[in-house]
Amino acid sequence: MLNQKCTGCHQGKTPAAGIDLQSLAFQLDDTHINGLWVRAHDAVEKGMMPLGAKLTAAERDAFLKSLGEPLIAHERQRAKERGRAVLRRLNRYEYENTVRDLLGAPWLPLRDQLPEDGIVARFNKSGQGLEVSHVQMARYLEAAEQAIRLVLDATGAKPQSGRYYARDQGPMIRRMKFGPFNNHPERATIPLLGFDAQPEVIAETAPMSVGPKDPKTRELEAFATTASTYTGNEMHFDGFTAPVGGRYRIRVNSFSIWAHTEYLPAAGDKKLKAWRPTRKKTSVGRGKEPVTLYALSKAKEKRLLGSFDVTPEPAVQEIEAYLLPGEQIMPDASRLFRSRPGWTGNPDATEAGTPGVAYRWMEVEGPLLTPAARDGYRQLFGNLTAKRDEKGRLTAVAGKEADAEGLMREFVRRAYRRPPQEAEIQRYLGIARAQMQPASGILEGMIAGYTAVLCSPAFLYLEEQPGVLSSEALASRLSYFLWNTAPDADLRGLGTKLRQPEVLRAQARRLLADARSRDFTNAFLDYWLDLRKLGDTTPDQVLYPEAYLDDLLVESSLQETQLFFRDLVNRNLPAANLVDAKFTMLNSHLARHYGLPPVDGVALRPVDLPPGSARGGLLTQASILKITANGTTTSPVLRGVWILERILGDPPPPPPPGVPAVEPDTRGATTIRQQLDQHRSNPSCAGCHARIDPPGFALENFDVVGAWRERYRSTEEGEAVQGFGKNGFAFAFRQGPPVDASGKLATGQAFRDVTELKRALLKDERQIARNLVRQLIAYATGSPAGFADRAEVERILTTTEKDRYAVRTLMEKIIESPLFTQK
Amino acid sequence: MTPAPFVALRKPLPRRQFLRGTGVALALPMLDAMRPVLADEKPADTPRRMLAVCNNLGFLETGFFPAAAGKDYALSPYLSILKEHRQDFTVFSGVSHPDVDGSHATEVCFLTAAPHPGNGGFRNSISLDQHMSEYIGVKTRFPSLTLGVNVVKGQRSLTFTGSGVMIPCEDSASSVYRRLFLQGSEAEIERQIARLKLGQSIMDSVATHATGLERNLGAKDRERLDQYVTGVRELEKRLVLAKDWERRPKPTTKAREPKDPDSSREYMEKTRLMYEMARLALESDSTRLITLFLDSTNSPAIELGEVKITDGYHNLSHHGKNESKLAQLEAIDKWHMKLLSEMLGKMKTTKEGGDTLLDRSMVLYGSNFGDANKHTNTNMPILLAGGGFRHGQHLAFDTKRNYPLPNLFVSMLQRMGIESSKFATSTGTMRGLELKG
Repeated sequence: MLNQKCTGCHQGKTPAAGIDLQSLAFQLDDTHINGLWVRAHDAVEKGMMPLGAKLTAAERDAFLKSLGEPLIAHERQRAKERGRAVLRRLNRYEYENTVRDLLGAPWLPLRDQLPEDGIVARFNKSGQGLEVSHVQMARYLEAAEQAIRLVLDATGAKPQSGRYYARDQGPMIRRMKFGPFNNHPERATIPLLGFDAQPEVIAETAPMSVGPKDPKTRELEAFATTASTYTGNEMHFDGFTAPVGGRYRIRVNSFSIWAHTEYLPAAGDKKLKAWRPTRKKTSVGRGKEPVTLYALSKAKEKRLLGSFDVTPEPAVQEIEAYLLPGEQIMPDASRLFRSRPGWTGNPDATEAGTPGVAYRWMEVEGPLLTPAARDGYRQLFGNLTAKRDEKGRLTAVAGKEADAEGLMREFVRRAYRRPPQEAEIQRYLGIARAQMQPASGILEGMIAGYTAVLCSPAFLYLEEQPGVLSSEALASRLSYFLWNTAPDADLRGLGTKLRQPEVLRAQARRLLADARSRDFTNAFLDYWLDLRKLGDTTPDQVLYPEAYLDDLLVESSLQETQLFFRDLVNRNLPAANLVDAKFTMLNSHLARHYGLPPVDGVALRPVDLPPGSARGGLLTQASILKITANGTTTSPVLRGVWILERILGDPPPPPPPGVPAVEPDTRGATTIRQQLDQHRSNPSCAGCHARIDPPGFALENFDVVGAWRERYRSTEEGEAVQGFGKNGFAFAFRQGPPVDASGKLATGQAFRDVTELKRALLKDERQIARNLVRQLIAYATGSPAGFADRAEVERILTTTEKDRYAVRTLMEKIIESPLFTQK
Repeated sequence: MTPAPFVALRKPLPRRQFLRGTGVALALPMLDAMRPVLADEKPADTPRRMLAVCNNLGFLETGFFPAAAGKDYALSPYLSILKEHRQDFTVFSGVSHPDVDGSHATEVCFLTAAPHPGNGGFRNSISLDQHMSEYIGVKTRFPSLTLGVNVVKGQRSLTFTGSGVMIPCEDSASSVYRRLFLQGSEAEIERQIARLKLGQSIMDSVATHATGLERNLGAKDRERLDQYVTGVRELEKRLVLAKDWERRPKPTTKAREPKDPDSSREYMEKTRLMYEMARLALESDSTRLITLFLDSTNSPAIELGEVKITDGYHNLSHHGKNESKLAQLEAIDKWHMKLLSEMLGKMKTTKEGGDTLLDRSMVLYGSNFGDANKHTNTNMPILLAGGGFRHGQHLAFDTKRNYPLPNLFVSMLQRMGIESSKFATSTGTMRGLELKG
């Protein structure tokens, strides 16, 4: 049949699609050639080929069989000999979690110390992509030793607690006084007593604080801000610096206020009048304000710790978080505006006043003696006596030769995910012995030996042998799938019992039910949906001034998607929810962003969507809509490709080389649809773009940050819009042409908008589930589902059909499948 | 904090580690220190070097940027101070780091291009010099040097390692001098050697371990573990070389140890001395990678010869078009150009092989601010001198939609002999910048 129906086009100097079937060898060991034959198979199976010739069902089946059988046989043989997946090292997510567990220090910062991992089949889980170079090794060597020393430093710290009054904090005091770089009242702090401003403190006719001699009054002193914390307007508590890494309890006494305004000129520009806080009069707040806490490093890096709501009534908010040595705490009243130089107005300020947040004090307690922190030393040095310097840092450990051997034996046992060989223990004990110094006992030697273990291949690589996995390898696969870390003691303790299907299933359920399965959700979504790239683009300052600099929106939308997917697993909901759901995860900021009925507070929770809402499912979540845009414009092509690849599992072929991307016009003269129509009038483009563009068009109702729009925004044409951005700049964008989100899928189904698109996509729930299963297989096994694995994928789907492909059940079926239990 | 980890020993000069010199360096001709240290480096391989300088208050745009583009552009008022070097540098306009915003906060991203330094969740990434250092750092005694003038101690630097650690700036020229040319104490040398030896023995041990494991593996899996062994052995080789440096006598110099100015008001003298130290470090092949951070924001009203400076440098930068302030800024900017011109001139007088030191040294000069008065981080003033590129041109890009500056970094990496096709948010190599034939 090949000769009759295919090689007419697919041969010669310029074969169709660049595929010359006449001279294409049947060399299935060659990945590229193998892929071409699979493409040929699929094109015929889907009826896309042969062009212009109709095959009888018998002809078609015969062809598919004659091509499919050797493809399957070849792949199965290869899997039998070497396994579906190739040997791989831990990726940097796994490395971080594994070392944290081993050293009992969940706060250790390790992921970012290693080079980025390579990606194969969309995930950082394949041996082909997880490379090692001397740079990688140098980073392992450095990271491992540093981690061990950080942990040992932390084990000697005594928990302490202290209260840090806002009125004693240098950065807050400095922002109260006007100077050459601080002469705008909205960027200055306001001293308060109770709810009332203290202009006398600003004027320095009254002391900064009554101090400890008058604790009652001191308790009522505060510093308020009417702006969000940002470059040029930074404030943080510099009274407390985390002495060591560990878990800390942070309590903040704060409340919302209302600052009175006057129509005042700016200090630097007398003509520029705006509603500004007078800093002379304040009163009780008019509602809740969200506050985000960041850990601020010396190098001004900011790690998100958590967020809470402050109320008009002063109250103490408490969060527990991990801090690294040297970090300080920076609160940010995240909803308020972030004035940038050149601003002309505050979007929050009116004649009636402007909202603000006031801080009285912060208390920090820690490092808390969590079980892990208590065990940190014992796990490395057992019951041996430690000598410490005046700062609590370890200087020596008294121990004998036999102690060292016992400790090393135990460390290697825990570090390796299979029983260690005696030679392995002796090897690293040798390193330790050579480094023992009289002054520090066995301390330096053991640190060196432990470091070596953490750089060793049996720690860094996941060992698997072809065929059915050993119980140790199976425990590792399960644990790195569902927790992204090494198996815990329970899992390791099961031994060969784990290979019994009901035991395996029970363990899968236990792991998934545990809070640590969050590490699966977040790592899986980081790659499947590219959530790790959420912060890569910025909303354009001119076109999206309300979203530019809105960190709370980015943080909330990341959590929405993570919590949403987690909920599908926890409640075992049908896979179709990925495309459309009756609920989503919201807080007040997201609800406002989506134009939904108000939700109270900054914490995200499941909220039922009102009937008729366009939201629901991944496609309408702000995170996805931001990731698929570039901050300035949206492209139906890019979003269409994204839906085909990530949600429908039907990726289009890569674009032909040399074709420039369509550049959306932000001047407002033409719409993207008009531009693409032109593009598609070219028949060589039309084939693929008829499939790619329509689902992307349905998302045109969502702008670059996922807000609903019925008109495009433009920089030149259209009506002007009044208002101020989060940066204080007057709106300069205009209302551009209307959005047309209608289209027709390649299947012929027409839709008017995203709601109808979702309905059309849901006609084939199995395809949505099939894609999810394939993504999960690539993630869980380190190898994408191949041609020969298709039957097994279909079997998994069929067994879960009656549950409408419930997500957790799908995961359990994958775990029970030979795809998972064999290498 | 923790003691320096193994590999960090080969990292840039730690701040304030004054050497208690045990005597004057052994006499050794400078060029001898330049012999190749990596077995795979052929003697014929040309050493490539870099000095990257950032002034965190930038320059007045009208003074810096030329009006016309291309080869025949007319020098701007500032660049005319560099006119004798016209053929030795390329000036860029319409370039910036994509998504690097947040005004002053961007100074730590000048060599990293990590996006959004002002925002919550910001984490910096590896700087250009450290990226280079991971490949070529082992070829010299110091993998890199991180220098500064008037820097806020321990909080600002251009240098960030791949592990996300900020390397603090060394801000004393005399300390740099001693580090470059005076022998360290025996105890210190011993300590460093012991640690490098340990790293080496760990690498040897894990490589042997891996070779043992390979016996049980199929061909494909073995290939993966082979890659590990190769990486390990390569690092081991580098640790050996690093160890060799500790015993090798330091080079000699005719230059005298400088005296550090007493006051941060002597900003320009401090800058001149640091240029001098940078040049000496490159010339003696003590390192091939240097960053220099001119912390103008942290500088007071500086001394500038005859010109009276009335305000702190940062204050002046917010000139608000005040004529007196503009005139003072212009005087400062021109002084900067004069110092740069002097240094480039000296680098041209040092010969190595058939080239000048400048031919083999990329001097990147610029600022994170396009306009410090307005706090804009687009349209950064950037100039690249030397390094063996075809210069003498103004590469002008769109000032509204900037061309990615990380592309220049990719070109510089490749010039360094490092096979990189990407750095941070780069999209390719610098368009219009070619190597000298």
